[in-house]
Amino acid sequence: MSSPSEENPVRTTLEVADLQVSVAGGLVAVQDVSFEIRRGESVGLVGESGSGKTLTCRAILGLLPATGRIDGGRIVLGDGADAVELTGARRSTWDQVRAVRIGAVFQDPASYLNPSLTVGHQLAEQLRVKGSLSRRAAHDRAVELFDEVGLHDPAGVFHQYPHQLSGGMLQRVLIAIAVSCEPELLIADEATTALDVVIQAEILALLRRLRDTHGLSLLLVTHDLAVVAESCDRILVMYGGQVVESGPTDQVLRDPRHPYTQALMGVATIGSWHRRRLDVIPGQPPAAGEEMPGCRFAPRCAHATAACESGPVPVADLGGDRTSRCVLAGHLSLSPRVTTGQEVPA
Amino acid sequence: MKTLVALWRVPSARLALLVLFGVGFLAVFGGALAPHDPLQQYTDEVLQGPSAHHLLGTDYVGRDVLSRLMEGTRLSVVGAVEAVLIGGLLGVPAGLASAWLGPRLEWITLRTSDTLVVLPFTVFAIAVAGTLGNGLQQAMVAIGVLISPVFFRVTRAATLGLRKVQYVEAAELMGATEWWTLRRHIWSKVLPNVAVTAAHATGSALLVVASLAFLGLGVTPPAPTWGGMLSSDLGYLAQQPWAPVFPALLMMATVGSLNLLADAIRDATGATAAPRRRTRPAVAAAAREERPDVVTV
Amino acid sequence: MSVAAPARPVALTATGRGTVPAVVRRSAPWLRSLAGVLAVTVTVLFLASVITFVLGALSDSNPAAAALGETATPADIDRLNHEFGLDRPLVVQYFSWVGNGLTGDLGRSWFTTVPVTDSIRAALPVDLSIAALALVLALVIGGGAGIGAALSNGGVFDRAVTLVCSLLGTLPPFVIGMALIVVFSVKLQLLPAGGYVPVQDDPAEWLRFSILPGLALSLDVAASIARQLRTSLTGELRENYAVGAEMRGFGRRRVLFGHVLRNAAGPTLAVIGLAIPLVIGGAVMTEKLFGLPGVAQLALQSAERGDVPVVLGTLLVTAVVVVIASLVINVLQTLLNPVARRGDGTAGVAR
Repeated sequence: MSSPSEENPVRTTLEVADLQVSVAGGLVAVQDVSFEIRRGESVGLVGESGSGKTLTCRAILGLLPATGRIDGGRIVLGDGADAVELTGARRSTWDQVRAVRIGAVFQDPASYLNPSLTVGHQLAEQLRVKGSLSRRAAHDRAVELFDEVGLHDPAGVFHQYPHQLSGGMLQRVLIAIAVSCEPELLIADEATTALDVVIQAEILALLRRLRDTHGLSLLLVTHDLAVVAESCDRILVMYGGQVVESGPTDQVLRDPRHPYTQALMGVATIGSWHRRRLDVIPGQPPAAGEEMPGCRFAPRCAHATAACESGPVPVADLGGDRTSRCVLAGHLSLSPRVTTGQEVPA
Repeated sequence: MKTLVALWRVPSARLALLVLFGVGFLAVFGGALAPHDPLQQYTDEVLQGPSAHHLLGTDYVGRDVLSRLMEGTRLSVVGAVEAVLIGGLLGVPAGLASAWLGPRLEWITLRTSDTLVVLPFTVFAIAVAGTLGNGLQQAMVAIGVLISPVFFRVTRAATLGLRKVQYVEAAELMGATEWWTLRRHIWSKVLPNVAVTAAHATGSALLVVASLAFLGLGVTPPAPTWGGMLSSDLGYLAQQPWAPVFPALLMMATVGSLNLLADAIRDATGATAAPRRRTRPAVAAAAREERPDVVTV
Repeated sequence: MSVAAPARPVALTATGRGTVPAVVRRSAPWLRSLAGVLAVTVTVLFLASVITFVLGALSDSNPAAAALGETATPADIDRLNHEFGLDRPLVVQYFSWVGNGLTGDLGRSWFTTVPVTDSIRAALPVDLSIAALALVLALVIGGGAGIGAALSNGGVFDRAVTLVCSLLGTLPPFVIGMALIVVFSVKLQLLPAGGYVPVQDDPAEWLRFSILPGLALSLDVAASIARQLRTSLTGELRENYAVGAEMRGFGRRRVLFGHVLRNAAGPTLAVIGLAIPLVIGGAVMTEKLFGLPGVAQLALQSAERGDVPVVLGTLLVTAVVVVIASLVINVLQTLLNPVARRGDGTAGVAR
């Protein structure tokens, strides 16, 4: 785990400030999202589907869907002389930033590779175009990278087409492509979701190793708290388009300060794998663009009071790098489980 | 009927239906309503523009364009409709049979359809004219036979797709006879596809009939057809642009309406994409047809 | 870049898909699909020859009536029928016709007694060269329009292309040819309205005489290509791998030409394959319009005087040409698509 020290001042890889994203002609889907990722740090962005986590990460990558739009806020990559403002960047800026400074891997790796080109060709193309390597050098470097991401017989894999490889292998290929140009930031959007548990663990271990060997910062977007618990220094919990809680992973998971985080832990299978009870969170998350004056989780929250729904809930700074968007964050320990339970056969 | 009402609500389909109704009216009554004898040559009024006497002008031998157009509608439309009917009557039963009656018949019908697709309309029509004689009937049978693979493929695809759908399976499990299943479930889903295809095919057939007229096959001059008028009058386009414009416009309107109607039927009924003119590359598609159960990736 | 080496020996141990040697697993389905294509091709050619022969058998023309006209006596008719082998059983006639056809002998004209193959051999290059030119023009025009339309997706150019394509499809092809003649030959006097110079005699002159027929022939196909390419390109551009290529920092041009076009080409090739009978059929019209000495003119003239052997020969040769062209398209499609190359999937079919 990277901790800042005096002689090596903390450098920022990514800063997102007051990000606001709307979809489908003005439905606000992400609001007031602010966070930063420090050099070498791995951050987990957690939330259920529709919480805005994927839109946030797409906004950082400049890959919002056709109807999506950034309405406000800033996204800055790097700091000091290297800083690049990504909000409203032109295509030419993106072409210089993508792959070289931000790499990304996604869920369903098969669909992100061109089906009619060999995977080696696709990695070598990246190295030739963005890394200015010769054809020969690109081939050799590609084989090296394939080896580094843990593919057996890298020279053979080079000549395979995507449909000839399994999902786990394809994800390794995509990771190799993503880190090939030594980016500062690697974004993994549900990158392990579709894989089976063993492969998932291997891919996570690979990402951690690459973070160390390549000096990457990691942004892991996932709906699975277990993934974050395993791999991230810090955690950001999103709900209804807002970051509701953030802080160091171990502290947040030990002592959640937002009822939603707590509820989320109830439905996750972290901690005890033998736990028999899996909780469900009652109610539905708010739809994108839904007008709610107060806390967006209030209708589903067991602790909700009249104050929660009356007006906007500010982000409370809890010290020690922790924040929570809850009126009770400062003075309530949310340890007793209050959500309804449901028996799940072990 | 319900479909027709639904179609009427779509503006483009309404326009198309109005145009087609007009064309149908001309086809039935056009000859009787024509202001002049379509074969009468007004030799002192050759290549006139539109005037009070000749509303759409006269052609290169002084015949009244409007009258020829009205009279010619019948021959053009009846020919195309006849060809499409023949194509449908050959193709639809063959398509149903090939999806239903076992692999051997399936193979034969598929290869026959591949073969017919390989033969170009015009060359085949020339060959038919050269061997069986030149006439409207021969030409229409020839076109009908060559159109039939489109109906065959569409029917077959829809039937095959449906055979795998669960409710058909459920009906079979519940003891429905095959014939009942075929009639009740399949037919109601195949029909929209056939209708879409028929609309497209009629448009194509109109064009082919016109092309044959240009080659001197099918209807023989001086009897007027759209295609015949186009091919004779276009030669004088430089001297007198009016004469060919009207048959061209009428033709474009009719074929365009048929295409619009086909799209509207497809949208209204959820029929799958209709092939334009010819369905698929003959041999290329045929090789793939060998394994109809292959999952598309 | 090496494409299509189906038997490259690569160890596939890591894929964990059984223990069958990689070479066998890769090439066997490929060979099987090749065999399937061959079987289909042979069957199609056989059926085409049967259909052609049946047309001839149904015909009531005979060489005596055709060549001698009304003055023919029964004895003359019998003599000529015997000379042309028409007194034999139909099955025997069919097999001798096909058997001779395989050796390049399709019989002789009833009128001129010139071998049918010679007449076709003289006429076919005209059609093939014009059709090839038309295909090239169609690829250039249709490809350009399709790519442009996909890039301007929903914009003015896109709508213009869609409109022009729809309008082209509502007119018989000869109308377009005639309009071209009026504009370029009659009004502008730029190009000849008819006539032909073989390409091997003078390529420049050939081009001058062929460009209008080629253009007339190409527009219909160009419209199909543009429409299909637009559809597949807009579809492919939405695919994740296109997003992925963009994510890799590749510029628009590299994404389009290096990644997306390759996958959009399959359905477009299918459309071209499907258009080949149309091109050959359209060549008939074009030949008549521009007075080219091609196969169709030969067929038309022979049909007019009931010269059955020539008519049948042209139909059969046309069918063979279409089948060969379709095969070429099929092979190209397979080469483009690695999934189909392995034979375990369906290549893109026109949507």
